[in-house]
Amino acid sequence: MIYLQLIYEYFKIGLFSFGGGYATLPFLYHISATHHWYSAKQLSDMLAVASITPGPVGVNVATYSGFTTGGILGAIMSTASIILPSFIIVIIVAKLLAKFRENKYVKASIHALKPAGCGLLAAVAIQLFRENVVQIWAYILFFALLIMSIKIKKDPLVYLGLSAFVGLILSFLKVI
Amino acid sequence: MQKTFWNIYKTFFKIGALLLGGGYVILPLLQSEISEKKCWTTMDEIVEYYALSQSLPGVIAANISIFIGHKLLGIRGAVAAITGIITPAFLAIILIANILEELVGKHTVQSVFSSVAVGVVILVILTIKEMWSRSITDTFTKIIFITTLILALIKVPPAWLIIGSILIGILYGTKNPEEAE
Repeated sequence: MIYLQLIYEYFKIGLFSFGGGYATLPFLYHISATHHWYSAKQLSDMLAVASITPGPVGVNVATYSGFTTGGILGAIMSTASIILPSFIIVIIVAKLLAKFRENKYVKASIHALKPAGCGLLAAVAIQLFRENVVQIWAYILFFALLIMSIKIKKDPLVYLGLSAFVGLILSFLKVI
Repeated sequence: MQKTFWNIYKTFFKIGALLLGGGYVILPLLQSEISEKKCWTTMDEIVEYYALSQSLPGVIAANISIFIGHKLLGIRGAVAAITGIITPAFLAIILIANILEELVGKHTVQSVFSSVAVGVVILVILTIKEMWSRSITDTFTKIIFITTLILALIKVPPAWLIIGSILIGILYGTKNPEEAE
């Protein structure tokens, strides 16, 4: 029974959350309130953990709550359920796109869709900046990395590794 | 590198393992792994898939992986890409699920959380730069960008913005057919 509930709830998130990442949050809080698979506190811990564990936040929370309520099988069920709607929809869209790429309406939509996508991401960047770049050390790290990114183009791994390393050092120096 | 099921799985596994701070950093990772190192797709295609992925329901990183997997090797490629991107996330959560509370309580872990978050902001900015250079080409696209940004900041749901921009794109494109090329 619990498996069916997990499948139902996460399939719903996969199907109805637009805009990725933070768009899944209201759904995740709703689940915590109705099913008690995790508490609101656990969810906020989970979101913090999701930032250092690999993978999209929504998928991480799905796996976690599936695992805590239904073990490995629950984890597989809920992870697969959040992905399945995407899989079906994207395959359909990809096939249609391949077929109608030269269509003038499709071209016109994509022409406008790309700057809109860029605008949405810019809003995410501003939100992330406000949340994460608060203290002085964070500003210094931010601008140091920014200057680095202008001067030299590096693998994204370098930025992640470097900032994790700085966090570790600052923690030992008791700065943060 | 050949576009086999196993190679696609391995490539996306690597990207999945590096996908820290939520799914937003997937674009720079795809740029470096799929476009620059392996030359499997062009950066323009990746940007286009990214924009489409934002406009479809579900997790963006998953959507774009399925798009690229499908482009590389059809349905099998899509399965390889999505399972590849999910495996590291799945394993990581299973491994730490039982020690979640302890882990979050650790001071060092929290410091690393907050500094990686700063790195993630940089990667998102680099992503925007990349998307900007490939999608903002004229006054029309500039207006779309600025309008979407402002409306998104005042919390208009992304789905509306996407639908709105598609409609405006079609209206504009039918009036100025040569511009939408």
